[in-house]
Amino acid sequence: MSVRLNKRSGGREARRVSRQTNIEQIIPFIERKIPYYELLDEAGLELIERNADTVLEQIGLDFKDFPQALDLFSAAGADVQGDRVRFPPGMCRSIIQNSAPAEYVQHARNPERNVIIGGNRTVLAPAYGSPFVRGLDGVRRYATLNDFQDLVKLTYMSPGLHHSGGTVCEPVDVPVNKRHFDMVYSHIKLSDKPFMGSVTSAERAQDTVDMVELVFGKEFIQTHTVLTSLINVNSPLTFDATMLGAATVYASNNQATIISPFILAGAMSPVTVAGTVTQILAEALAGMAYIQLVRPGAPVIFGTFAAAVSMQSGAPTFGTPEPSKIMYLTASLARRLGVPFRSGGSLCGSKIADAQAAYESANTLQAGALCGVNFMLHTAGWLEGGLTVGFEKFIMDVDQANMLQVLLQGVDLSETGQALDALHEVGPGSHFLGASHTQANFETAFYRSTIADNNSFEQWQQEGGKDAGARANAICRKMLDSYVAPPLDAAVDEALIDLMVRRKALSEDRSY
Amino acid sequence: MTDENYDDEEIILSELDDEELTLQMHDDLYDGLREEVVEGTEILLARNWSAEKVLNEALVAGMTIVGIDFRDGILFVPEVLLAANAMKGGMAILKPLLVESGVEPIGKMVIGTVKGDIHDIGKNLVGMMMEGAGFEVVDIGINNSVEDYLAALEEHNPDILGMSALLTTTMPYMKVVIDELVRLNIRDDYVVLVGGAPLNEEFGQAVGADGYCRDAAQAAQMAPLLLHNRRASRA
Ligand code: B1M
Repeated sequence: MSVRLNKRSGGREARRVSRQTNIEQIIPFIERKIPYYELLDEAGLELIERNADTVLEQIGLDFKDFPQALDLFSAAGADVQGDRVRFPPGMCRSIIQNSAPAEYVQHARNPERNVIIGGNRTVLAPAYGSPFVRGLDGVRRYATLNDFQDLVKLTYMSPGLHHSGGTVCEPVDVPVNKRHFDMVYSHIKLSDKPFMGSVTSAERAQDTVDMVELVFGKEFIQTHTVLTSLINVNSPLTFDATMLGAATVYASNNQATIISPFILAGAMSPVTVAGTVTQILAEALAGMAYIQLVRPGAPVIFGTFAAAVSMQSGAPTFGTPEPSKIMYLTASLARRLGVPFRSGGSLCGSKIADAQAAYESANTLQAGALCGVNFMLHTAGWLEGGLTVGFEKFIMDVDQANMLQVLLQGVDLSETGQALDALHEVGPGSHFLGASHTQANFETAFYRSTIADNNSFEQWQQEGGKDAGARANAICRKMLDSYVAPPLDAAVDEALIDLMVRRKALSEDRSY
Repeated sequence: MTDENYDDEEIILSELDDEELTLQMHDDLYDGLREEVVEGTEILLARNWSAEKVLNEALVAGMTIVGIDFRDGILFVPEVLLAANAMKGGMAILKPLLVESGVEPIGKMVIGTVKGDIHDIGKNLVGMMMEGAGFEVVDIGINNSVEDYLAALEEHNPDILGMSALLTTTMPYMKVVIDELVRLNIRDDYVVLVGGAPLNEEFGQAVGADGYCRDAAQAAQMAPLLLHNRRASRA
């Protein structure tokens, strides 16, 4: 009879498949439904804004070896002397507010994975820039292109990471002047999530733009954004020609840049939270104004990366309260300005995925989520202050990243969420495990960690007494074994390879 | 700091005997008191101490203590900067006298970050520690090409060339510089030290440096030894 047939869900076979395979439902980015955690009141934030204006007006910033920036600023009304640019109060702010978008779409080659950056969205991306990896064999070594590709694959397979990132590790085995081709190609070929471009020279940025033209079309990219790239400020108060060169290429082509004061407080900024935030705001305002002068309307993100240096050695430290406060304040300032905000990540100073790594990463990750980060770089894999990306750490961080989606979702106040029917049904005493409300909702009710072991001591022991790192190791191997590349149009693939081969042949392999 | 840390009595350096004064100078170096270190240096010279004896017993010995406490996490970077600055004050007086008396100076170092790289926090710390160890340090800043290094070597005639790089995209440039020194047949005129977080021991060897320094304290420890060996092998 049909009624009885409908109750059957396929028995053991089907249940096993549905519980064990990750049939991914694409959630392209997180839509936040909870309030922002504001650390300072209006008066406090205004004070910092005024102080930043004082810095911009009285001290100014150096735009080193890059005449184009000086010309643009001068024409816009800034006082330019040598490399030093001083800005009348409010000038940068009004340039930015006139044309910088409050949010933008970064297109992916798979439109289902387009991300919106800004507003109430949070987009998570993996770690960036590490020259070393800690492999699944537990050995720390220079990263290779193979590692790079593995990290792109893992990111592609991690639903909680919405963005493929950029230099997920530095492929040290490929010549310096050619490795950007392989990095960009790997992002395109092995993943269909949005990604970042090369910034280590203007020429490499242009190569990146030329490659994405082949994927998205020449006209398309002039009206749509397909790259978001990382431009660091050489704090204190200096922009260098390398970063400006890359930023200019991207902005001229309507591609997004993240203007990031990257601060080791105490060395690159004052030792206080308010002083550091003042400097960050001044630097970000100047950089974002430059982008708007290059091309009004080009998407630009207010970035902040803050760590404190150990006053005992100069080494960067992570997960301490001061950088979290800096993050809360800069997030508020970015919202007041009306531009997207980048910060956060699973930052730590630990060499391995141990308790130090977990505590420090959790501290930064939570603060990043609560303060309202729109684009979160370094969400997965980061170790050793960014010198190393760890594969086990990556998997552990992805588990945490997945949880952010649930946290930021806020509280379900629908009828189901209120669960009055369950309370009626069960009443005093008894238990909820068999209640029909529970039967209907248990599968998705609670976040299920991929890493945590909550079994009895005996079962845990019988299964080898593994720690979280060892469990992550097994998951990672399994993921890499089961990776299947997203299809890429053969003609596009051929065109990309052809461009790479031709461009690479134009110059000798160089090690700088 | 509270007042309890201080003796109420004003210390008059010139009233101390040699031993007391030397110990007081160690304390003054530790506290980063440049004027006092300069004064102590002058007093010892006036008491007919040789410049070399002042250097070794008052200054270098004092900075050794600073180095140990920095390593042990008792002294902080800003304090070591002050101490190194006080040391420089004393050195400024001793230097011409050391040259005059034919004493080989502790050494001179040219240090800079390589081309394409603007990271300099680590390099600055190395400069600080080297000055603290009595070296004369010429810091040529960031983003240095082969030509910049060669010009600095020519102009300052140092014993040591130090190169710093924080990027895997710039660290291979160290080899470009060293290869050029080899080509010009001047490689052996210098002790070449390299450092920066993405480097390691093997890399240092592969580019042909004399030493890879994992941190600033190690650079200051390694430099005198390598220099000593080099001078000995030439004598
Ligand atoms: C005798 O000679 C000697 C001897 C010993 C020597 C020596 C020389 N030099 C150093 N030592 C040794 O002694 C010192 C003291 O004990 C030690 O020095 P360190 O410098 O190691 O230690 C310092 C005391 C503290 N450490 C530091 O100062 C470096 C910290 C990190 C976080 C870092 C910083 C701060 C910065 N950065 Co940069 N930065 C990173 C770094 C990651 C890391 N954890 O190391 C690294 C090196 N950066 C990186 C990147 C990618 C970049 N950075 C860039 C910019 C910057 C800032 C300007 C923002 C800033 C530098 C500010 C400054 N004034 O120096 C960009 C490049 C700019 C350029 N043209 O150079 C940019 C390209 C950013 C981008 N947009 O992609 C990554 C390297 C990638 C690679 N290819 O290898 C990186 C690992 C971070 C990351 N994960 O992205 C020892 O190494």
